[in-house]
Amino acid sequence: MAHTVIGSSIVVDGEITGDEDLVILGTVKGRISLRENIIVEPTGVVEASVETATITVNGSVTGDIQATERAELKTDCRMVGDIRAPRILIADGASFKGNVDMDG
Amino acid sequence: MAQGLDSSSPCVVGPQISIRGTLVGEEDLVVEGRIEGAVTLAGHLTVAQNGVLEANLDVDSVEVWGEVVGDIVASRSINIQKGARVHGNVTAPRVIIQDGAAFHGSVEMEVKLPDALAKSIRH
Repeated sequence: MAHTVIGSSIVVDGEITGDEDLVILGTVKGRISLRENIIVEPTGVVEASVETATITVNGSVTGDIQATERAELKTDCRMVGDIRAPRILIADGASFKGNVDMDG
Repeated sequence: MAQGLDSSSPCVVGPQISIRGTLVGEEDLVVEGRIEGAVTLAGHLTVAQNGVLEANLDVDSVEVWGEVVGDIVASRSINIQKGARVHGNVTAPRVIIQDGAAFHGSVEMEVKLPDALAKSIRH
């Protein structure tokens, strides 16, 4: 499947919208609104409110996440903000500060 | 799902993605989708056939197969390919416009003018 990669030296300040997978190795500030999967790699920094189907965080996210399917916080990720999703997974070693809402 | 990418994977804005705002970076970028705003890149920018940029571009070099509406400044070269549509002013030491490209705007290259002409422009 086609997907978009925001490379490690890239900084996006604004709004990303669309309909395909997004891999973030760099920095995104502002707002992300997708109907697909987002992966924040260990070097990735997201300072944005995020709307998506699924998100997997290995890096750093500051902002609220709203996922229609699943949000997963992996080991060594850093997340500050509220998460709202039907399925939320937090791995051992993840650091997280915020509210969790699984009611949908 | 896209997974297992390392930092050497190319930076791509895919066909279903739209970015509104600024994009700054120091690596090569391929745009198949849409960017509105500004792009500042210390690297090579490729605007693919279906890519649309409504943005001012400040890059090392750029190759346009798709559509650019906005001014382009490149420190090395601007290459407007067959089938591309560019609307704006372009500035670079090397500007290449291929047969079959649609371009509307002004071109500025580093041109060494004849002395007499250079003087008359200056005064």
